[in-house]
Amino acid sequence: MCDTCGCQLHEHHHHDAKVVEVNQSLLAANQKQANSNRHHIEEMGAVAINMISSPGSGKTTLLERTIDALKDTVKIGVIEGDIETERDADRIRAKGVPAVQLTTGGACHLDAPMVHGGLHVLEHFAKGSKYDLIFIENVGNLVCPATFDLGEHQRVVLLSVPEGSDKPAKYPATFRSADLVLITKTDLLPYFDFSMDEAKKETLTLKPELPIFPLSATTGDGFDQWIAYLRSLLHN
Amino acid sequence: MHELSLAHSLIEQLLDLAKEHQAERITRVTVTLGPFSGIVRDSFEFGFDNLKQSQPATREAVLKLETPDPVYICLDCNKVSVIPFLVPNDPMDMKYHSLYPKKCPWCCSNRLSPKDGTELILNQVEME
Repeated sequence: MCDTCGCQLHEHHHHDAKVVEVNQSLLAANQKQANSNRHHIEEMGAVAINMISSPGSGKTTLLERTIDALKDTVKIGVIEGDIETERDADRIRAKGVPAVQLTTGGACHLDAPMVHGGLHVLEHFAKGSKYDLIFIENVGNLVCPATFDLGEHQRVVLLSVPEGSDKPAKYPATFRSADLVLITKTDLLPYFDFSMDEAKKETLTLKPELPIFPLSATTGDGFDQWIAYLRSLLHN
Repeated sequence: MHELSLAHSLIEQLLDLAKEHQAERITRVTVTLGPFSGIVRDSFEFGFDNLKQSQPATREAVLKLETPDPVYICLDCNKVSVIPFLVPNDPMDMKYHSLYPKKCPWCCSNRLSPKDGTELILNQVEME
């Protein structure tokens, strides 16, 4: 019997057939670039945050308010991922912070090689000075971005009140990959059938101990906790 | 949706391996898709079977996918259990009905937390 496939028909195998045990991740190339990005970000003096959520959950608005709160004391850079348009990067630039727009032209997620390109552009914008905090706003999508390490230090997943409290249970891979979950647009709680208990319970079933911060970028409720979390990550 | 980009990176890995081992063609590839990897088996196979046509070295490659059953740890009783996914085209299979909606077979809690299972591994490649 053939050792390779267990078949009885030895003739169909060529004598120079070779079996290679690879045992390597399918994401090995992305992972290698992600590790190099992480090193690059540290060389730039910064920590990086990968922000993942569905479209319209408030990632860019959260960034605008965060920049308002931090920009006098913290040097921020932003990499924006979208399928098309410079709109998000323009919103960030209007706040006086350097922003690079990556347009994927259809791809549903950012990957580490794309972010590598973005980091070099951010570095160019800084003209030799350092960054403290780099936000990478992923393509709006609760599915695909979960698989790709970009070289971030922390992964923040946003869930907005209008999306519904069942989303952690429905998109487990993304919520399970988070280091922090933000429940955004809490000012809309009176108008939506959103159960904070359900959202928290489902998230903590996927990953016990995961911190969850409810907040509203409109009213500022819960913002102090988010800002304190960001400050705790900074190198100095 | 990102199965195609994963299949693409697999083809590139295979081409590198064929070059490294001076093989003319890849005949068989074994890949493990973890149950919580978020990768859809059928889409990944479809992507691979389409993309392999573009390269002479991978054209005849047969993809063998291993998909281990999902493992959960109960947050109430701490026991570990294997609860297979329901196969969509076999909804009348009574064998697993008592397990759905998913609950711990030991204490009936529904607080089942996924254990590991996010792996995407290229295990073995046969070439000649």
